[in-house]
Amino acid sequence: MSKNIITIEHVTKRFPVGDGVFTALSDINLELKEGEFAGLVGPSGSGKTTLLNIMGSLDSPTQGKAIVMGRNISDLSHKESAQLRNIHIGFIFQVFNLLPVYTVYENVEFALILQNIGSAERKRMVMEALEWVGLENMANKKPSKLSGGEGQRVAIARAMVKRPNIVLADEPTANLDAANAHAIIQTMKKLNQELNTTFLFSTHDEKVMGYLDRIIHLEDGKVALDKIVLPKTTAL
Amino acid sequence: MIKFLLKGVLGDKNRSVLPIIIISIGVALTVLLSGYIRGAMGDIINQNARFDTGHVKIMTRAYAENKSQIPNDLAFLGVDSLINELKTSHPNMIWVKRIRFGGIIDVPDDKGETKGQGPASGMAIELFNTNSGEIQRMNIPSSLVHGTLPKQVGEALIGQEFVDKLGLEIGDKVTYFGSTMNGSMAFKNFTITGSVRFGTPALDKGAIIIDISDAQTMLDMEDGAGEILGFESDEIYDDEKALELTEEFNARFVNNTNEFAPIMLRLKDQNNLAGYLDYVDVYSAMFVTIFVIVMSIVLWNTGLLGGLRRYQEFGIRLALGESKGHIYKTLIYEATLIGIIGSIVGTAMGLGGTYYLQVVGIDIGKYLENATMLMPSVIRAQVTPELFYIGFIPGLFAMVFGNMLSGIGIYKRQTAALFKELEV
Repeated sequence: MSKNIITIEHVTKRFPVGDGVFTALSDINLELKEGEFAGLVGPSGSGKTTLLNIMGSLDSPTQGKAIVMGRNISDLSHKESAQLRNIHIGFIFQVFNLLPVYTVYENVEFALILQNIGSAERKRMVMEALEWVGLENMANKKPSKLSGGEGQRVAIARAMVKRPNIVLADEPTANLDAANAHAIIQTMKKLNQELNTTFLFSTHDEKVMGYLDRIIHLEDGKVALDKIVLPKTTAL
Repeated sequence: MIKFLLKGVLGDKNRSVLPIIIISIGVALTVLLSGYIRGAMGDIINQNARFDTGHVKIMTRAYAENKSQIPNDLAFLGVDSLINELKTSHPNMIWVKRIRFGGIIDVPDDKGETKGQGPASGMAIELFNTNSGEIQRMNIPSSLVHGTLPKQVGEALIGQEFVDKLGLEIGDKVTYFGSTMNGSMAFKNFTITGSVRFGTPALDKGAIIIDISDAQTMLDMEDGAGEILGFESDEIYDDEKALELTEEFNARFVNNTNEFAPIMLRLKDQNNLAGYLDYVDVYSAMFVTIFVIVMSIVLWNTGLLGGLRRYQEFGIRLALGESKGHIYKTLIYEATLIGIIGSIVGTAMGLGGTYYLQVVGIDIGKYLENATMLMPSVIRAQVTPELFYIGFIPGLFAMVFGNMLSGIGIYKRQTAALFKELEV
């Protein structure tokens, strides 16, 4: 049986807005297991990004518990949170957010440098990650020379190179055309299956939803629907 | 990590070339300005010491009180024994005697009638005593415009202004008219062996330079001199040493009420130099400090802009799991590296400029035509040891300080906002 990677128990998140308070998440309960390929869907303001922040140890709940890799997010110091992200969590953003002065290789390598992995091992891991996304021949290119799809694949390699337990992706296909969006999702699906990495997307994109094993529908900060679905396995 | 950061710094011109250029310019200006102010100060002190005040000067009390009138009737007699005593008691100092004198220079025509006249501001020094170092001290070989140095009594050097004004040529004879130490009339013929220009208007006006033995004969001052000047053997003025020496010397005569008792004055006690030097010291220190502060603000701002420009990069690094403290530390390492490189480049540029101004100088002669203070007409910068590090104050410290301040923003960064911030 797959183990729990993330456990969300009665999580509420409130933000001060002017003189009042805005409740972004209200009494959320969720479990995310190893190897899941899940998506948070819902309209803007439904709490997707807030939940992603908490699961990524970028924020902590106002009430309730968020247990990520066995650690209660609320109990972690800033340094411990950073360490948790560094080792266990990979991020993929809507905009690829590659560091423009570094090459593709160096962008991917950075996550490993933070873990103080030796250079020979780093090289092996980086090249392997670039092979996963089919960019092994572009290692020395600068991000400015890449297409949108290539840029997002580098971002996937960067997120995956350290073999994280969880990858959190915020609208990863929002800036891509249909063909590239499918290719990217298929790459992530393949990695999910081969490496058993848990993927959680925040998305509006129907194309992404088609590949998900599980869809968690948020509405007004609450889980409106949480269903297991039969995903697509081939490109449309 | 360091190699990785270095690649980033070198790859991003906005993080390397631009700050290095700004720092280099700021540091170079700081070094150049400091070198120029110190050079000008040193020139003024040096000029006064060599031509007038010495590092210390001994006169009779009466002579000292009326020094501006060049009162040779109040000068020392028996000066050689006093110098011998000083050489024994202070062997590390060089002691020389000088006589200043005023009068008229008359230039005769072929028939012996007056062709032209002019007021003379004479100085008698130990020209024939090569051990005195007076020729080098007064920089006479370099100041010689035409002719040679006097070799025997009855020969004189004369200011180039005089030569031009009176239409003199080398080998011409001139007659000096003045008064002796005893108040009777003095006159003596001199053969002009050369003309000089010291580059100091107060000296060049009516200058005539003769050997002190000629002056002693001419002015009835056998074994006499108006002034005994003392110089440190390395010719560098040290105010603390000079003060110690004058206090020690003057203490010996404190109970002597004779107006011809000797009194020793240090350089700063003469020609109102104390006030002037203190004034210039304060203002130059203020000027350099203000300049350093302004440069620091400019470079601080560069650091701030650099930090703000990298907002997105820091966001990505935070999301990837780098701690805020680590990002802050790397920011300071980078600033230190850029600051050091910029400071080295700027210091080299500043030293180059300072050296150029030390050799060539800036001619301010036209502003000094009526000046009475001994100031060189060409103000030169001076390369001093402190110039090798003074630029690091704005260059390194300001850059690092600017980045430290801008880096505080990293700690204030809300990681919860990263997804939103990095979407842009």
